[in-house]
Amino acid sequence: MSNPSPLVAEFTETGKGADCPVIDCHAHYGPFQGIYFPKVTAEAMIDSLDRCGVRWVICSGHAALVDPARGNEEMADVVRRFPDRFRAYMALNPNYPENLQAELERLDDLGGFVGLKFLSDYHQYPITGEKYVPAMEFAQARGLPILMHTWGRSAYDSPQLVAELASRYPTVPLLMGHSGHGDWEGAIRTALDHPAVYLELCAAYAVNGVIEAFCERVGSERVLFGTDLPWFDPHYGIGCVLHARITDEERHNILHRNAERLFGEALGHS
Amino acid sequence: MLEFFDCNVAYGVWSVPPFKPLTRVQELLEQMAWSGIGRALVRHAAMDNESPPVGNRLIVEETAPYAQLRPSWAILPTRTGELGTAEEFLAAMRRAGVRALWAFPSKHRYTLDGVTCGDLLSALSERRIPLFIQRGETSRGLTGWELAGALLKEFPALILVVTGHGSWGEDRYFRPLVETYEGLYVDTSRYELDGGIADFCRKYGPYRLLFGTNLPAANPGGAMLTLAHADIGDEERQLIAAGNLDRLLSEAQP
Repeated sequence: MSNPSPLVAEFTETGKGADCPVIDCHAHYGPFQGIYFPKVTAEAMIDSLDRCGVRWVICSGHAALVDPARGNEEMADVVRRFPDRFRAYMALNPNYPENLQAELERLDDLGGFVGLKFLSDYHQYPITGEKYVPAMEFAQARGLPILMHTWGRSAYDSPQLVAELASRYPTVPLLMGHSGHGDWEGAIRTALDHPAVYLELCAAYAVNGVIEAFCERVGSERVLFGTDLPWFDPHYGIGCVLHARITDEERHNILHRNAERLFGEALGHS
Repeated sequence: MLEFFDCNVAYGVWSVPPFKPLTRVQELLEQMAWSGIGRALVRHAAMDNESPPVGNRLIVEETAPYAQLRPSWAILPTRTGELGTAEEFLAAMRRAGVRALWAFPSKHRYTLDGVTCGDLLSALSERRIPLFIQRGETSRGLTGWELAGALLKEFPALILVVTGHGSWGEDRYFRPLVETYEGLYVDTSRYELDGGIADFCRKYGPYRLLFGTNLPAANPGGAMLTLAHADIGDEERQLIAAGNLDRLLSEAQP
């Protein structure tokens, strides 16, 4: 291997990096409709985190993406049981707007929720729609990050719609889940134009050259690591970051430092 | 030290190139060295983007100086004669040292079944020559696993390798086919499922998985690190990384 990185050598040898405590900013919990998960319990997920050197995982419950009232409670229970490994995003379903405010109001009581989660493609409702306004105002008032599924050319969550939302709420950290998959140029432009927008790598990491393009044009300080766990083996995404033609400093930024800065005290970082 | 023999690598010029193409064979070799991929079964972009006769010639000429690269060819139906009769095609494979084939029926506009390709598919079955298709391939109105299932139902002795099976959960599709047809193999380029490789090996053993990266479209690091630290034994790991492909190529008799 001609890649000279000590971090690559360490992960290749041991599967983890002693000074690289990975933070997974895009994960889930529980079974879901279109996929068989061999490792679906919280305990099995922790086994994967341990094998891959992942210190923290921030999840939205799969159930919560359909039925937030039930699913967010389920997610909160996982955080209560494993407070040193799990944090949560509060998932919201805009197709039941009458329940949205009540869900937001119990965020503090549930405990361990560090942001909101939008899944607009699945809900077939645009991130710029008015039903999301209470959530956007809630996030703005508290400085809460929002992880949103984004996909290139989507009618619901394209990079262009993220840019529109970021113009309205410029201080809310918007985490572009999958980095507007497929519309890499659109994602880069949105991140360049809006300083609070982050590029999250889940699935995007697999496209050869995308990580390098993000680091070169936007900067590694705006790139976050995520895996959709229990969907994807964390080693898959970590391996993509390691084999990208970037420096170890950039790899550290992506794999943990940016998340430490963004989520701060919620993950034990001041 | 794990040795990687990549079953799913391409280079060349595409009509619509991947995000970071590998245009020349030297670029591919540099990428393999960067990532630590020792050997690769290679195809040329011209095999599917231009024409099999052109691509098949280029891949043999351009990889000949490099022992770490093994060429593969693309097939066409023999009725139009572009690649000769089945026997002539197999004889050309022998001369060129080619032991694996690809089918691109949708782009090359033919039906991948017994009516159109029966002579060739029967010969491949008898001679244990592996045929590779991409998961997104379509023919006779069938896509991906349905196409693989239909092909294996008609040619149950065929060695069929399906590559790039997609990361959004396909085990419910391909595991029944693995159980039903012993010639079905799956590459690991997008087998990202957490715990998937280990779970698969516990049920079916390691023999039906082939390490692949899908370079240059995909970042090779994902498939490599996933396999390197999958929760399986080292012997199983090495079979998937290289041993199974070595066996398939050694058993092929063009």
